Amino acid sequence: MSASTIIFYIVSALVLVFGAMSVFTRKIFRAAIYLLFSLIGIAGIYILMNMDFIAALQVLIYVGGIIVLIIFSIFLTHQAGDKLPKPLFKRIVAGASMAAFGLIVVLGVFYKTAFKVTTEAGIDHSARSIGRQMLDYHHHGYVYPFEIVSFLLLAALVGCIVIAVKIQKK
Amino acid sequence: MINESIIIMRFEWLISLMIVVLFILNLMGVDKKPERFMNIVNVMLIINFVAGFIPIKDGYLFQGFYHTTALIVLEKNILNLGLLLIAFSAKQWIIESKRPAEFFMLMFSSVLGMYVMLSSGHILVLYLGLELSSLPLAALAAFNTDSRKSSEAGVKYILSSAFSTGITLFGISLLYGAVGNLGFDAIIQHIHEDALTLTAFVFILAGFSFKMSIVPFHMWTADVFEGAPTPVTNYLAVVSKGSVIFIFITVLYTVFGKLENAWLLAISVLSVMSMTVGNIFALRQQNLKRFLAFSSIAQVGFVLVGIAGASNMGTDSVVYFLVIYLLSNIALFSIVEAISDETGKVTISDYKGLYKSNPFYAIIFTVALFSLAGVPPTAGFFGKLFLLTSGMGSGMYVLLGFATINLVLSLYTYLRVVKAMFIDKEEERMPIIKKSLLTNFVLAVCLIGIIVLGFAGVFYQYIDSISSQL
Amino acid sequence: MGSVSILLLMFCGFAFAALAIGLGNKLSLKRYNPEKGEAYECGMETQGTTWVQFHVGYYLFALVFLLFDVEIAFLYPWAVVFKEIGMVAFIEIVFFVLVLFLGLLYAHKKKALSWM
Repeated sequence: MSASTIIFYIVSALVLVFGAMSVFTRKIFRAAIYLLFSLIGIAGIYILMNMDFIAALQVLIYVGGIIVLIIFSIFLTHQAGDKLPKPLFKRIVAGASMAAFGLIVVLGVFYKTAFKVTTEAGIDHSARSIGRQMLDYHHHGYVYPFEIVSFLLLAALVGCIVIAVKIQKK
Repeated sequence: MINESIIIMRFEWLISLMIVVLFILNLMGVDKKPERFMNIVNVMLIINFVAGFIPIKDGYLFQGFYHTTALIVLEKNILNLGLLLIAFSAKQWIIESKRPAEFFMLMFSSVLGMYVMLSSGHILVLYLGLELSSLPLAALAAFNTDSRKSSEAGVKYILSSAFSTGITLFGISLLYGAVGNLGFDAIIQHIHEDALTLTAFVFILAGFSFKMSIVPFHMWTADVFEGAPTPVTNYLAVVSKGSVIFIFITVLYTVFGKLENAWLLAISVLSVMSMTVGNIFALRQQNLKRFLAFSSIAQVGFVLVGIAGASNMGTDSVVYFLVIYLLSNIALFSIVEAISDETGKVTISDYKGLYKSNPFYAIIFTVALFSLAGVPPTAGFFGKLFLLTSGMGSGMYVLLGFATINLVLSLYTYLRVVKAMFIDKEEERMPIIKKSLLTNFVLAVCLIGIIVLGFAGVFYQYIDSISSQL
Repeated sequence: MGSVSILLLMFCGFAFAALAIGLGNKLSLKRYNPEKGEAYECGMETQGTTWVQFHVGYYLFALVFLLFDVEIAFLYPWAVVFKEIGMVAFIEIVFFVLVLFLGLLYAHKKKALSWM
């Protein structure tokens, strides 16, 4: 077993353990913090795959943005510090069996599939290559989704203002 | 290069331009005078609708990320028609909502998403379009900030939509693992039936089923339809659902075309469940908006019968039926909206004796219901006939049997409302609804469409001619 | 080789932190004094819990921040290849930023960014 495999297992274990903790904890604020560590772990896995730029984005957007958003929304409620009630036993059973079923199906499918090992060289994941694919009109098409994203962000902005800002009464 | 893209992507350019114009108008403060603002928007909508008919040549852009064909142009035009009619019939409500600019910004963004989705040639773009078309709708569902039900509808919509998106994305990632590329052309070439691909397909199908509210993924529909403001409900039921069905056919027939044996059964089961559950639950509803929600679930079940035909005729009959479905539902929702705006009444028992107080509305309501039920003189009959004929093509006779039973059941469901309007004694007389010109125009268009389309074989032949070119 | 050193670094990092905390815990004297539980230095006695409810306005800030955070993600690769692609890239990014700028102007007009 090479060192990078060991690192992979350590990082994946961190991701899984923190993911499980964020699900099982009954304090909602702690769940957000555990999720944060889980997401950092995922960034670590990206780095292991040599996808530096994606890892940076993972930290920038998920760790720096989405978790902050989640924590803000926890503070919007008035019971941020309270413990959640204990889940009902039948719900635990139902949830656990659903999760087990999903896991078995997906794992079964993965084991059954003979994934082809590609002989091609790995795709260039550098920011330069991503930028080229995103902006070069002649060889790649990603400029189209790129421009659409701006409208998606605009719609999200308008949407959240419509919901959150009260109509000013005259 | 740029010129060419502007001509081929005319729909997208125009609607983006209109979004930008809306922002500029809002910044200039034009929307402070809602009447005037609405006139400007209506002119924009008419331009958008009329410009859709200028012929456009088929083409690929952005290395296959974007493509357009005559069928896609027709589908976009159908969506434009829906948008136009809904905006016209909702004029009064929009003016009273005090935020006309925001309403149309969100609506146009959603339509832009639908265009992107329909013209996509790559799953990434398809996903982006699906997101862009559903995200603004959550804000629109919660548009009425004073009403708790409206906020609840918004939350329910965004949660179920996020959940379904998550499922779809998981399916897409599995598909990427199986095929190694997400372009439609590459998938069509490399896809073959194995466990991984089938699992991917199941997840993607589940995601689409959420958006089309097919049983068992329909839980959000009734609550969202009831809580959202009526024009938004109208839009959700007609334009949003229609656009997802359009792209669903494309994805099913072309991208997953090789898995036909596998999806035929899945589609049939979903179809039977949707029709049955939709009709039976519609029977129990008192609130008309909930009633129409379950009716739309049943109608989508019927559309699936046509899709199960898995042939060219499947596409034809579904597109044809959706036009009729669009006109009928817009007529129904416009009347529900006009009456609930005026009197606040939305239950079926409130509609008792509507024929005596508002005969014009009662008659159009009845014709539209008949059209949904598939009663002969209306176009709905031909729509359902074509769907059933298409379903016959793949020889699923059990499915057809269920469809026929449901046809009878739905007749009973719809006639219950008709009976209330014409025969039942009213408890309290409904005031005469003052007629707004635009609403009447919308209703007239729908009425003419529902009656004429059934006899205009030209339209069906046109759809057939452009869909067979593909 | 690189992986081994990362593994070593990970191990050393964990060991260092564990050592510092563990040794500190073992070696320190533990004397309880009520003064130690007080809030730092001076000021009023605190009242109620520290879990207070935020105003929804903060959430808008967070959302607007997130949107422009995502925008940055797109700006970075653009900046890397801007020279290479030239004018086309410039037009594309102007389009992208202008659309979002409209959103910012709109947010400003709705007073979503003013203190409440």
